[in-house]
Amino acid sequence: MKVNILFFGATADLIGSRRVETTVKESVSARDLIDQLHADYPILKDRTLLFAVNEEYVPENTPLNNGDELAIFTPVSGG
Amino acid sequence: MDFFELTTDPIDITGVARRVVPPECGATVTLDGYVRKFTKGRETLHLFYEAYEPMALKEMQKLIDQAKRDFEISNVGIVHRLGKLEIGETSVVISVASPHRRAAFAACEWLIKELKRTVPIWKKEVYADGEVWVEGESEPPVVTRCNAEL
Repeated sequence: MKVNILFFGATADLIGSRRVETTVKESVSARDLIDQLHADYPILKDRTLLFAVNEEYVPENTPLNNGDELAIFTPVSGG
Repeated sequence: MDFFELTTDPIDITGVARRVVPPECGATVTLDGYVRKFTKGRETLHLFYEAYEPMALKEMQKLIDQAKRDFEISNVGIVHRLGKLEIGETSVVISVASPHRRAAFAACEWLIKELKRTVPIWKKEVYADGEVWVEGESEPPVVTRCNAEL
């Protein structure tokens, strides 16, 4: 199944991309995919990262579904 | 009425404050957050704000809903600016209207504190000799902590 990964701010600069489509096996959780991202992009290691699935903060064991949007970002700094 | 918006245009602060006022209210507290020239002794040339826009709007709506449950307030308006901002320009306006001022002050303080913690907006400080994305100072939502050890 396919999952779109979105990056913003510092993570977009670190990865060098704002959007990556990836193919993952069924029953993958948000945590699994983030672990995979850490393996693929060692530059993310030691960063505090937040994530959201389909525009919502969710627990990291949330299972992903085909077409989901996983956003990865550093702690927010609006205001 | 309540409202929450993202814009790349300059924010009309008084306009935001006026829009939240219903007849039963007696006080509106408005926060005008603007770009500081010096942060920790370093001179900022300008700021750049970016948002995960659809999620930011959802989170702003949630903050307003929560504030209206927790405080005796009538209406809330939040407008956050995105893009490049010069020193002194307004980045965020939060207006809270309530029958009495105390609840409005408390809700406004709570709203800006939570906005800075949960709404997916980021600022980049641009200095004469470089630039850096600012990472949140306050504790982010617990469920989203992610410090993977490989």
